[in-house]
Amino acid sequence: MNGSPHLGSAFVVTWLSASLALAGPVLLAALGETFAERSGVLNVGIEGTMLLGALTSFLASYYTGMVWTSLLIAMLVGIIANVFLAWMYVTVRASQVVAGLVFNVLALGVASTVYRRAMGNSAVPENIAMFHPLHIPVISNLPLIGPALFGQTILFYLTLMLAFVAHFILFRTTFGLALRASGENPAAADSAGISVYRMRYAGTLISGAAAGMAGGYLVLAQVGLFRESIVSGQGFIALGIVIFGRWNPLKAAIAALVFGACDALQLSLQIFGTRVPPQLLLALPYVVTILAISGLFGGKAVQPAALMSPYVKD
Amino acid sequence: MKNTLEMRNIVKRFPGVLANNNVNLTIHAGEIHALLGENGAGKSTLMQLLYGFHSMDSGEILIDGERVRLDSPKDAIALGIGMVHQEFMLVRPFSVAENTVLGLREGSGPLLDLQRAGQRLRDLSNRHGLALDPAAKVGSLPIGVQQRVEILKLLYRDARLLILDEPTAVLTPREKDHLFAILRRLRADGRSIVIVTHKLNEIMECADRVTVMRDGQVVATRTIGSTSEQELTRLMVGREVNLRADKSSQKIGASILQIKDLRVEDETGREKVGGLSLEVRAGEILGIAGVDGNGQSELAEAVMHLREVKGGHVLLNGTDVTRLSVARHRTMGISYVPADRRRVGSVTEMSVADNAILGLQRKYTRSLFRNIADARESAEALVTRFGIRSSGIDLAAGKLSGGNLQKLILGREIMRGSAALIVEHPTRGLDVGAVESVWGELLRAREEGKAILLISAELDELLNLADRIAVMFEGRIMGTVDAAAASVEEIGLMMAGIPVRETSMAGGEIKETSHGETL
Amino acid sequence: MARLFERRLTPKDSPLVILATTTTAFFSAMFVTSFLFLSYGASPFQAYFALFHEPFATLRGFGYSLVRASPLALIGLGTIVSWRSGFSYLGFEGCFVIGAAATSWLALLMAPGAIIGPLPFFLFLPLAILFAFAAGGVWAGLVGIVRARMGGNEVLISLMSNYVAIFILQYLVSGPMRAPGSLPETRLLPRNTWLPFLLAGTRAHAGILIAIAAAGLVWMLLQKMPLGYELLVTGFNPLAARYAGIDVARHLVLAAFFAGGLGALAGMVEVLGSQHRLMDGISSGVGFVGIVVALLARLNPLAVIPTALLYGGMSVGADAMQRRASIPSSVTFILQSLAVLLVLIFDALRYYRMNFDFWRRKPPTVAERVSN
Repeated sequence: MNGSPHLGSAFVVTWLSASLALAGPVLLAALGETFAERSGVLNVGIEGTMLLGALTSFLASYYTGMVWTSLLIAMLVGIIANVFLAWMYVTVRASQVVAGLVFNVLALGVASTVYRRAMGNSAVPENIAMFHPLHIPVISNLPLIGPALFGQTILFYLTLMLAFVAHFILFRTTFGLALRASGENPAAADSAGISVYRMRYAGTLISGAAAGMAGGYLVLAQVGLFRESIVSGQGFIALGIVIFGRWNPLKAAIAALVFGACDALQLSLQIFGTRVPPQLLLALPYVVTILAISGLFGGKAVQPAALMSPYVKD
Repeated sequence: MKNTLEMRNIVKRFPGVLANNNVNLTIHAGEIHALLGENGAGKSTLMQLLYGFHSMDSGEILIDGERVRLDSPKDAIALGIGMVHQEFMLVRPFSVAENTVLGLREGSGPLLDLQRAGQRLRDLSNRHGLALDPAAKVGSLPIGVQQRVEILKLLYRDARLLILDEPTAVLTPREKDHLFAILRRLRADGRSIVIVTHKLNEIMECADRVTVMRDGQVVATRTIGSTSEQELTRLMVGREVNLRADKSSQKIGASILQIKDLRVEDETGREKVGGLSLEVRAGEILGIAGVDGNGQSELAEAVMHLREVKGGHVLLNGTDVTRLSVARHRTMGISYVPADRRRVGSVTEMSVADNAILGLQRKYTRSLFRNIADARESAEALVTRFGIRSSGIDLAAGKLSGGNLQKLILGREIMRGSAALIVEHPTRGLDVGAVESVWGELLRAREEGKAILLISAELDELLNLADRIAVMFEGRIMGTVDAAAASVEEIGLMMAGIPVRETSMAGGEIKETSHGETL
Repeated sequence: MARLFERRLTPKDSPLVILATTTTAFFSAMFVTSFLFLSYGASPFQAYFALFHEPFATLRGFGYSLVRASPLALIGLGTIVSWRSGFSYLGFEGCFVIGAAATSWLALLMAPGAIIGPLPFFLFLPLAILFAFAAGGVWAGLVGIVRARMGGNEVLISLMSNYVAIFILQYLVSGPMRAPGSLPETRLLPRNTWLPFLLAGTRAHAGILIAIAAAGLVWMLLQKMPLGYELLVTGFNPLAARYAGIDVARHLVLAAFFAGGLGALAGMVEVLGSQHRLMDGISSGVGFVGIVVALLARLNPLAVIPTALLYGGMSVGADAMQRRASIPSSVTFILQSLAVLLVLIFDALRYYRMNFDFWRRKPPTVAERVSN
């Protein structure tokens, strides 16, 4: 290592790069959940869905060696699992928090069982096909963020793009308008001829698809193996990011970046040496998210007015 | 719709009530037709059937002589029928343009074209005199303008028949004038407008014809030119007073409850009670008449401090209780029977015994524990004394019939021994037997010397029970009359917003009233 | 138009019906899970036998069931107090950890030569209970204040506080409280801080007595104390609570406090009765299974004890099942959560009434034909 300036900039680049990488999966899940919450459904089950997606993508990649197919299968599993959840939320009208929470336990049971069934008791997981970091030459020349962006996987760029797509769909299409109306004033949406039930199913399924893919993102672009603790609350963090990002996909991207930065801080600091206990740094992203959603900075006024209230059409 | 809409022999039943009983109604093109009636007359139900919100049990709807099916609002919209509800169906964070294109079928691809919608909105609003900015967020618009958005939504879909449910309930006088101007232009355009209302002065000012409904039936249809406010009031309100209460004449005692210059606003900052003053004495029932929505529930809640008081005072036996907590109100001697017996006055999931001490729970304690034995005893006493039909005091309160639940709540508040009692719509939704029971209890409480503020939309009830009747309209007292000397027409007119010049002798006070004056 | 299921005005809710839906749900979950057993080539009967025999028909297994049941019951009780007061607290995993850490810290102070030194157990235990309860109560109470004052979403905040607590635990056992050596755990706690064992030949400890006592206290609070009455009213209907003069915000914070305290007691019981030291991974999901237990017990404090015993026993049996039938223990998670999901579904059915006209296919009356 040379003198301080190089050390300093190397730290920043490492940190930024890690931040972006870690922010990806959580942002992807948050984008999907934004649709669910905008339609009026709080889908606590995305934590479990991410786990199922992680497992599925791991197994699919293990058996087929094809990353994109594995990602797609993970997405499909996410959708199927959330058909059940959507039914519980919208038709059965069970408590959304309870149904989602219990679903997470179920997902853990299913994921553990299937994994052990497939992998037997082998301690060391085999290598699986993964997404590789992209080294696009032109990117590294971009000012400031170039070196950090350089070396991200394609999934990162895809997720970033999806943030823009999500924003467009939500705010510039008739579907997005109808979806948002269902979460703000279902009676008004109903009287305008919109099926609130259908919108809420759609929102939940979108969050399921995104969460399933996010689980795949974790496995195929970051960790490279499956363990039961691979999600470890990132689904809940995604819920926090939705609030933190004020139910807006682009603001969620920024919120995810903040989260990623906190998460990456402990990694980077460890590499560069620090005396702060690593566990407290690990807790930082969670603490920051808690502060962001505590209502200290307003935000309750902006939430979809009908979030979590089941709609009964008589 | 070209010329006529006809509703024939409409019957609609809800659990426990026959809302529309063989109703016939005809609307012509290019007319403003008023649908007049009190609460529960059936007019809102009828219009909801027309808009496809409910399905009728029997009857038919014809447009220009042809039968049509109305299974949902979509069908109604397709037929050119539009409705502006009393509670606006607007999404507050959305812009005017977004609210307008919400749910639109034809002419819209998957992408929102708010520019084009905005342009069309501007054209429409210019043409009909409804100045609006398509990009404005609806939630930030004043209520009068929000209503214009609702109307524009209908015009955007080229509605030929517009139904307005109590449109002036939330408008200031200036906004009302604007609205009427708009309606006249629409009429000139060949469209038909149905206004559901209880406000006579507006009907006289604005409508061409009026249909009066009462108790689920059509009583009469008149052209405005050929009728008068008095006749309409009589048709709307006048009926055989079926029930008679046995009210003894009584010595009225000292002033117990005093309300001075009370001002209350609702959540959006609109004034619901505007500088109102009242006085209730021991052994007297002061009735507050008026159609629901004129500030009565805000008044009751404010007196109990369940709602913020913006100005003015409430005094109990001389002590200012205006901003004391609800619990303190109770200990100092004000009881309250709210209008919503299931959602505020009781906890339907809990037992009768538990509900019997709601609000009193801290009194029934013995050292650290609840004194359940005493509480149950009180509950039993309550049930017996007030004749509550229940299979035991452990039954969930939600299982009681409306009448029995009301008796439970009323009994609880009466047995508390408070000096003042506020009662809101005590017999709403109750059958004749239950009504008689409740009336008996209120009169007994009166004999015991309580000061009772009785808020009700039922004139029968007020005429039978009250000593004096104050009429509330748009947050103010229109006038106060001595119940014994009152005439139904007079009260009806005041309820409908027509000021009455009169003098009254209750308590030796002389009141001259005009629009908006207080006692 | 006649439909098969008509919506009732109020759900059918006699205790018999509720018991019926719950047991039906549980057995249905067992039925569905048996297909999973079949896929392993095991007979469902053998698998269920393995699952239930060891924890309930052997003394040693039963002892373990009691051990597993105690923290589950305490967390279940915490769930009951908070949820029935209208406060949807989910941070029990965190409270468990906080309670375990607080208790360990206090116990280590009782070691010979440490600050306080050895105290007789009957003095130590009440101190530990108070200290752990207070620690957990404050931990959860903070969330309560955020909800009451700032309108924060207690569901998410409490979920995330779990992870913060776990990281605090990891920090403590890797740093300040770590025993000499490299394992992330503390020293063994002094012998005089251990909960007494109950059954000879088993590891069953007095923690179950604490859980039973707590169940009695929670029952008494909710049924027999004015505060409990007010908490229940707040949970059923906050509007009616305000009408009744109840300070809703204050009651929410109190509910949070009690919930956190009970969750922390679960940690205390685990540390003083079973593990006898604080270590990383001491919680392992008990915070969530405890909530599931409370849900299956229909939020009834007295029913929590047998339900906790059932689920605690199942986790013991799961290990036995894995040894004997080679079915992974994670299958119990499936069974346990499926049971509650089915409870939710069957619960919704209580809102419907079967319309028998649908089956009789009556011809439409004249009026119906006309309006159609």
